[in-house]
Amino acid sequence: MKIRTMKYIVKEGFANTYKNLLMSLASVSMVIASLLIFGIFLMLIINFTYNLNRLKAQVEIAVFLESDISQLEAGDIELKIKNDERVLAYTKVSKDQAYAQLMNQYLEDSDLLEGLTPDFLSESFRIHLKNADDSAAFTEEISKLPGVEDVSYPYESLKKLSAVLNWINAGSMVVLSLLLIISVSIIANTIKLTVYARRKEIEIMKYVGANDWFIRWPFIIEGVIIGFAGALASFILTCYLYNLVESYVNTHALEYGINDLIKLVPLGNIGGQIFIIYAIIGVVMGSVGSVISVRKHLNV
Amino acid sequence: MIEFRNVTKRYPNGTIGLQDATFTIEKGEFVFIVGPSGSGKSTLLKLMLHEETPTEGEVYVNEFSIHDMPRREVPYLRRGLGVVFQDFRLLPNKTVYENVAFAMQIVEAQPKDIRRQVPVALALVGLSKKAKVYPEQLSGGEQQRVALARAIVNNPSVLLADEPTGNLDPETSWEIMNLLDEINQRGTTVIVATHEKSIVDLMKKRVFNLEYGRIIRDVQEGNYTNED
Repeated sequence: MKIRTMKYIVKEGFANTYKNLLMSLASVSMVIASLLIFGIFLMLIINFTYNLNRLKAQVEIAVFLESDISQLEAGDIELKIKNDERVLAYTKVSKDQAYAQLMNQYLEDSDLLEGLTPDFLSESFRIHLKNADDSAAFTEEISKLPGVEDVSYPYESLKKLSAVLNWINAGSMVVLSLLLIISVSIIANTIKLTVYARRKEIEIMKYVGANDWFIRWPFIIEGVIIGFAGALASFILTCYLYNLVESYVNTHALEYGINDLIKLVPLGNIGGQIFIIYAIIGVVMGSVGSVISVRKHLNV
Repeated sequence: MIEFRNVTKRYPNGTIGLQDATFTIEKGEFVFIVGPSGSGKSTLLKLMLHEETPTEGEVYVNEFSIHDMPRREVPYLRRGLGVVFQDFRLLPNKTVYENVAFAMQIVEAQPKDIRRQVPVALALVGLSKKAKVYPEQLSGGEQQRVALARAIVNNPSVLLADEPTGNLDPETSWEIMNLLDEINQRGTTVIVATHEKSIVDLMKKRVFNLEYGRIIRDVQEGNYTNED
């Protein structure tokens, strides 16, 4: 394709968008609506995953030893843990330390612990893994070692959280596809108007021997402009809304003292990717809408 | 050169557009296609343009075989054909010059060729002075002359005209026919579908008579009908 042809095509694309301003704006708003709803789901997924991973990393595996275990056996278990490649760090909690921790926790209701001596408690190892995904297998193995009484790991809760995350994922895909279909058909409708407005010109172009692509491209450009404009606008809106939500969550998390537990991903970390995702979806929606419309109404 | 071999065109609704037509039009000929409305004049032209494809038979236009050519080649077939219609089909938002130049732009002609050839085409149809005028400011005859300029600006080897004087008064019709004759003198094959009996009778060109989709008469230097 020659450069002046490209110039012509881009110029025509912009001119069409402008001549059809009202319908173009309607299509742009539809793209904005779709991307915003999609964006809400996307943000949910991102933040859910982020917090789940943080949670997993924070959660420690507690390995409780039988209370009558010999020093030798305990040493064996410690060696196993120490040499395991999956282990990031571990601490040993002696009976006395465990007792002290407990006393500390129930400071105000210390009468509850009356009669309790360190001997009632068991020694334990508190383990952090390098990769939270290894937890299940690691827990399984360690619980089989002789001398290990119990291994505690909030495995079930984390599994439930992961399941919720999967549901949100699936749900957002369904919503996204529905919105995509609606947006694409609305864009196709807008382009149809341009095709109709320019049918005389197109007919002449066909009689004089213009290539199909020469006729098609301006309409595709029009669709891309609509899609990209929608993506840009929804990106700005998403950033604005995200900042609102972020400051709301941060202040309220502080109020309830769960600011360590729940943390939103800073926008700066994901803004670039979000924009690229939006732009790709917008542009693809726009061009697919055009191609459908051109095929149906242009017969080229 | 244009050649039809036993060409039949049946439309999906059952109407016969053309029935077993066989003829050859050599380069540089001038042919009138006459006959009542619905006799198949337009079908004949549409087949040459690949706007329709034959149901049976073979159609050759220049180096293209219309009956079995891929769609993507259609633009290249049409670049060798100029077309003029009864209703002119000019773009109202473009000037006379732009309307003619448009035909060159969309086949990606060089800008310097466009600047050279458009004025030549406009001069040929006698509209040099109206280059900057918009179609609505022109008379019907002038509009058809713009359409003619547009049809020939890419130097097609064949010019097809479908009732080019159908919307014009007799005097203007003559002007257009004379222009077509002039274009023909310069070597372009000209094929004109028309109802203008007086013009056909006076110009003494080759005449095809169509009736119910059949070519019932094909004579050189002929009249509109058999009766003299």
